[in-house]
Amino acid sequence: MNGREQVKVKNLFWISFLSILILILVWQFIVSSGIVPSTMLDSPLSVIRLFFDKLTNVNPDGATLGAHVLASLQAILLGYLLALLIGIPLGLLMGWYAVIDGLVRPIFELVRPIPPVAWIPLAIFWFGIGMTGKVYIIFIGGLVPAVINAYTGVLMSNPVLIQMAKTYGASKWQIFKTICIPSALPMIFGALQVALAICWTCLVAAELLASDVGLGYLITMGRRLLLPKLVILGMLMLGVTGFIIGYIVDKIERHLVSGLRR
Amino acid sequence: MEEANRDIKEAYKIECINVSKSYNYGEKTEVKVLDKVNIKAKENEFVVVLGPGQSGKTTLFRLIAGFERPTAGEVYVNDKKVASPNPKIGFVFQKYMLFPWKTVIGNIEMGPKLMGISKKKRREIANYYIKLVGLEGFENYYPNQLSGGMKQRVGIARSYANNADILLLDEPFGQLDAQTRMFMEKEIMRMWNQEKKTVCFVTNNVDEAVFLADRIICLEGKLPGRVNKIYNVDIPRPREFTDIPFIKLREEIKNNMELIL
Amino acid sequence: MDKMNSKALKPYLSVLDIFQNKNVLSIISMIIFLLLWDFIVVRGIAGSYLPRPIEVFDRFLYILKNPLAGKTLVGHLLISLKRVFIAFIIAVIFGIPIGVLMGFNQYARAIMKPVFDLFKPMPPIAWISLAILWFGIGETSKVFIIFIGSFVPIVVNSYNGIRLVEPELYDAIRILGADYWQEHLEVTFPGSFPAIFAGMQISLSIGWTCVLAAELVGAREGIGFIIVMGMNVGNVAQIIVGMLVIAAVAFLLSVGLNYLERKVCPWKKQIET
Ligand SMILES: Nc1ncnc2c1ncn2[C@@H]1O[C@H](COP(=O)(O)OP(=O)(O)OP(=O)(O)O)[C@@H](O)[C@H]1O
Ligand SMILES: [Mg+2]
Repeated sequence: MNGREQVKVKNLFWISFLSILILILVWQFIVSSGIVPSTMLDSPLSVIRLFFDKLTNVNPDGATLGAHVLASLQAILLGYLLALLIGIPLGLLMGWYAVIDGLVRPIFELVRPIPPVAWIPLAIFWFGIGMTGKVYIIFIGGLVPAVINAYTGVLMSNPVLIQMAKTYGASKWQIFKTICIPSALPMIFGALQVALAICWTCLVAAELLASDVGLGYLITMGRRLLLPKLVILGMLMLGVTGFIIGYIVDKIERHLVSGLRR
Repeated sequence: MEEANRDIKEAYKIECINVSKSYNYGEKTEVKVLDKVNIKAKENEFVVVLGPGQSGKTTLFRLIAGFERPTAGEVYVNDKKVASPNPKIGFVFQKYMLFPWKTVIGNIEMGPKLMGISKKKRREIANYYIKLVGLEGFENYYPNQLSGGMKQRVGIARSYANNADILLLDEPFGQLDAQTRMFMEKEIMRMWNQEKKTVCFVTNNVDEAVFLADRIICLEGKLPGRVNKIYNVDIPRPREFTDIPFIKLREEIKNNMELIL
Repeated sequence: MDKMNSKALKPYLSVLDIFQNKNVLSIISMIIFLLLWDFIVVRGIAGSYLPRPIEVFDRFLYILKNPLAGKTLVGHLLISLKRVFIAFIIAVIFGIPIGVLMGFNQYARAIMKPVFDLFKPMPPIAWISLAILWFGIGETSKVFIIFIGSFVPIVVNSYNGIRLVEPELYDAIRILGADYWQEHLEVTFPGSFPAIFAGMQISLSIGWTCVLAAELVGAREGIGFIIVMGMNVGNVAQIIVGMLVIAAVAFLLSVGLNYLERKVCPWKKQIET
């Protein structure tokens, strides 16, 4: 990269900045000039105003913004951790013990292609509208990548090492514990982000359909009350929260991976 | 000025005159990779550029091929100043650079295809060079199904099939194991004898250089790359790694290289 | 590296594996699963929340033959598929050129990439409410949601596909005498094709999830409607039939696309060991 290109990079940054700025200005303009009716879209300014208002105001949807965020966070944390706690050991065992694999895999393969969203009606039926149903959907969503990655990780462990351990007389459980699990770790860490992304989508879907609190519910209420700014606020908060959680999980993953190398 | 320095009496296929190349990192730091390099290659000569890792060998070849322009100095190929990639040159890349989506034969016939030669004709050409490099039976393999040695054979055949009269080989055997490497060195000699071309060949291996070269150009061991010494090798071919003159020259170069490093 | 990939791919081909060497275990497993399910229901452990497997099967046959809200199961399925394909085609028509432009032109990239980055952490399903506010509950809003879901992976993969073509391959084709168009025909296109194809694969599977979500929120036909209807009348068997049909379609879609990928990108196939 030569000097001239360096200057260009700075220009490009400003172009990106302008691009976002123009997007926002156009948005503001088409709303405040009345080109788009306010039943369809609210201006960025009114969304910002609503944001500060919703920090303390429980109307019109029944909870403050903080309460919605908290409810969503709680659901995703529970579902995500549950998926990891059950999915990873299950995947590891399936990868190592052929009998478990043979028994569990057919059912797993049957469940896998069902999009988590398709579980929502059943979850509503089973658990009613509320936390349990949400967590269940999120759990189902996160389970699949957790199992698959742990399973693949075990399959990828070095056969030479396993052979060596066998000649030293290690038991199947010992080999599993000392060779397979450590070599599956990179794949397992790889599952963290994938599972999170799926869980996040599931959370939104679950809250849209089967919830009485949470960011997804906020969005639904916005639609029912014909308040686009409520919808947009919910979407933006989803984006920001999703970004932050993703960032944190990424940091954790990096930390864990660098711990592996040492 | 530079024009006057050119040796007009003798016709050279490749001529690098006081070639320098620098790269800029950021706004201030500048790395000089080549400094006033002079290299000449006559028709059908086998020139080996010998230098340790990171001495600017690839950069030099990229300048000759016309992928990049020198910061100072001039590069002439066939008495014409190099301004853009020249199909008269065949380039065999250090990292193979075969088209992964083409089979062996598809890679080799690519040059003729670009020229618009008919399918039948270019199949003929490709088959001829497949035989030359000894890849019969592998015509329909994809590159990711080939070993390193075979990939480089495809690279060489691809250049031959494009009717290049100059061949630039950038550490073609650097990634091969010692045995395959020795075998490939004999193979490249066989191909060159069968169909003579002007060859420039990069290596960091002294044995390889002495085995192959008419002339060895030693680069200095650290950046910027400079020509340190030029050896004319007149050991008769076919050479053996155990010939007395072979061993003598090898020791001489090795001693000299140690000094450079 | 190649080896690792082929191994990593293995579990995804698992159905074949099962048939090869774990036949017996699979059959046992399915029988146990069904018996256990049946046992739980018959004993009344699950209350009215779960029908017997045979009831699910009966319901499946019933809606296969008898129209439900004017259409049989196949009719509803075709409606959903049609929605996905319309949105998918639109996403391809707009997504690939935009992604390619972003890959080639740094100004286009600077303008559009931040917008995409802004929308990326927002799941496409979150757009449902806005879509309904904008387009009502009809066909347009469903196609819009599916479009939003399938658009992003196509753009991102086209962009990355172009950007990640090995730059030295351009040198390789130039030194063989290629002109500008030949360069793109022989390197850019085949070099970025696998990534673009993968993007289309992802986008179809996301589209399939999105159509479901959109239909769950509000529809009068489609496979999601069958599920919603089952929920409204308390017919759990119908819900489960809907889920299984959706799973079967998702499965067939991914198998079909994998097969297609091997046909159109034969160089990607690994040396089987
Ligand atoms: N396009 C480029 N931009 C910036 N720096 C470059 C570029 N090409 C080469 N360099 C620098 O030039 C130096 C020499 O590179 P070059 O590849 O020519 O060496 P080499 O002798 O071929 O090394 P090797 O033996 O590893 O193949 C490197 O340290 C590299 O950092
Ligand atoms: Mg090099």
